[in-house]
Amino acid sequence: MTSRRDALALALGGMALLAGCGGQRAERRTDRIQLWVAPNAAEESFWKVAVAKWNAAKLGLPVSFTTIPTAGNSEDTVLSALVAGTEPDLCTNIFSGFAMQLAALRQVADLASMPGYGPLLERRRMRTIMPGWTRGEQVVALPIYSSPTLIWWRADLLERHGLSAPPVTYDDVYRFCERYGVRQSRYGMQVLAGRDWRDRWFDFISFYYAASNGQPYLADNHALYDNAAGAQAAGFIERMFRQGWTAPDFDAEEPLVSGLAAGAVRGPWDIERFADIYPDTLARIAVGPMIAPVRSAGPGSTFSDSKGVVIFRSSHVQREAFAFLSWVLGEEALNLLWLQRTGLSPARDDLLTNPAFADYYRGNPLARAYADHVATARPPALSEHTIDIQKIMSARLVEPLMLGTTAPAAALADAVARTDRMLEVQG
Amino acid sequence: MTMRWSREAVIGAALASAYLLFTAVFWAYPFFWLAKLSVTQWRFFDEPVFTGARNLLLTVQDPQFLQALWNVVRFLGFYLPIAFGGALIVAFGLQHVGRGKAFVALCFLLSNVSSGVALSLVFAKVFSSTGPLNAMLFELAGVRVPWTNDPTLALLAIALVVAWKFVGYYGLILYSGLLAIPKEIYDAARLDHAGPWTRLMRITLPMMNPQLMMVLTFAILVSFGLFTEPFIITGGGPSDSTSTPQMMIYETAFRRLQPSHAAMMSILVALVTYALVQLARRLFERKVVLA
Repeated sequence: MTSRRDALALALGGMALLAGCGGQRAERRTDRIQLWVAPNAAEESFWKVAVAKWNAAKLGLPVSFTTIPTAGNSEDTVLSALVAGTEPDLCTNIFSGFAMQLAALRQVADLASMPGYGPLLERRRMRTIMPGWTRGEQVVALPIYSSPTLIWWRADLLERHGLSAPPVTYDDVYRFCERYGVRQSRYGMQVLAGRDWRDRWFDFISFYYAASNGQPYLADNHALYDNAAGAQAAGFIERMFRQGWTAPDFDAEEPLVSGLAAGAVRGPWDIERFADIYPDTLARIAVGPMIAPVRSAGPGSTFSDSKGVVIFRSSHVQREAFAFLSWVLGEEALNLLWLQRTGLSPARDDLLTNPAFADYYRGNPLARAYADHVATARPPALSEHTIDIQKIMSARLVEPLMLGTTAPAAALADAVARTDRMLEVQG
Repeated sequence: MTMRWSREAVIGAALASAYLLFTAVFWAYPFFWLAKLSVTQWRFFDEPVFTGARNLLLTVQDPQFLQALWNVVRFLGFYLPIAFGGALIVAFGLQHVGRGKAFVALCFLLSNVSSGVALSLVFAKVFSSTGPLNAMLFELAGVRVPWTNDPTLALLAIALVVAWKFVGYYGLILYSGLLAIPKEIYDAARLDHAGPWTRLMRITLPMMNPQLMMVLTFAILVSFGLFTEPFIITGGGPSDSTSTPQMMIYETAFRRLQPSHAAMMSILVALVTYALVQLARRLFERKVVLA
């Protein structure tokens, strides 16, 4: 027979087990600012120096930082942390669409209302860049860097086929492809970046911005790309596939290395990757602008792959966190350090006119080509429905053009109509 | 009057409580939370608000979700013949292996325990339009096959990858069925001059009905649970032709941040899966009785 004492012991054991399942919201600290940064060595090394300088100079509340504790993507980790209540005060590596989602969920602070916001824009020369990050009067994320998409060409292959400079217009590309392309075995250019919704930034949206001189493809919950620029970009994609001048995918290898394709859209992050893995190929790369129907007078428009920083609404030290942010982003020396450590252009429009950066760009011609386009590159449309918008763009526009099942005009009309319908349903 | 438990009863309850607790925490609680979510509007940080049939209407009117369900049916059209054909070959082949039968069986199981992510990454490169398979076909026949870029071929490519992973496992299940068939039945059939085809159709396959049904049920469950392979190899394209209900649920919950809508999707997928399994049982399940 069992005594009451045994039953009590069992109950206590059970309660001890269940105690581990309880919620555990982190205590919000007010004595220091907690910062999460992108999980890569280059950015981590920058923040290590910046945070150490801030803390040593005692310019405000001390900062402690760690990389975003992620094994997959930052968005999932940030979301999990918000649900668990373990989010920091500040978090970098946030793309504008995710920032808008967080804003819709009322999880991030409006940075435009912070004291010192206006002076920061002046100090960092961000006035021309911020419209792409502002909705109404609200700014929910501040861009740290701006990475324009440009086209890398194998200079040796261009030269061998009669071109002394990278193609600039669609006609230039067509002429080169006629000379270089061999059906089903060698292609003039990689046109589609891949299958993921993110890949549309590096093909159709880049082509659209270049053709439209940076006009938005979405505004007031309506898709706008069923216009002349959209038709030109779609027509280019369609013609490249129909002529066999590009392949549906280049998943098996890096096409620029073998010359499987002579040109491909690449970002500044690829410079370091190529320097590490394909240094011989990198030495033969010439960077050209995003191709457009006609040559533009100055640097043409293209897409800007930018990541920003947010301050969470749950933070008890929002103003102190913004003061730290203003200091990091506003200091020219730290902007230069960022550039040196990461190779990514700070989101400011004076990169090529400011003497502070002159030496860096003199020694880095590839990075200079990107810096040249920072002021004219446009971020993705500010929408919390970025994923759906770009999935529709993939399934209804880009893939039908690739397969040759729909004419460009019909594909554009279908994609835009479906996007509008989706936005209407989602509200 | 106080109730006193026997020591055996307490030990029994303590042992059972571990399972009951596990079930309550990891099955019952998520199940009721899912049911609650499916009829509410909740976006992670607010309180769920009852919205009745709104999620249901949204889901059944969502063309992408309906397309994803239809893709499962299309997938089964490719997967079932490949999986059954392959599994039967494995099962009949194992019958003729003399030495090292366990090793051969283990080899077939290796693909089943391989990482889905790793093998999907490998197959994505193999099936690429500029990949090794197409390079070989181009060398031999002067053609490149759009394995992952044609809506029909893309599904076939995924069916091949999934079948490669499961054929060994299914084959072992069928092999166990083959072993259970008494030899005397075949001897009697031979005396009646039954040829190999007749023996296969009249004895072997009917006697293996329980194992075949088991494989069919597993295949249906695998098809509705498909995620990793299409997510990595085709991303659901081209033109949503390889998107699956699990991909829709994941993206709706964790990309669009609409967990309530995703909860309704998962309930509908579970119901459709159950209905299809029941339909398959009605159509093909037979009682095997050895008198």
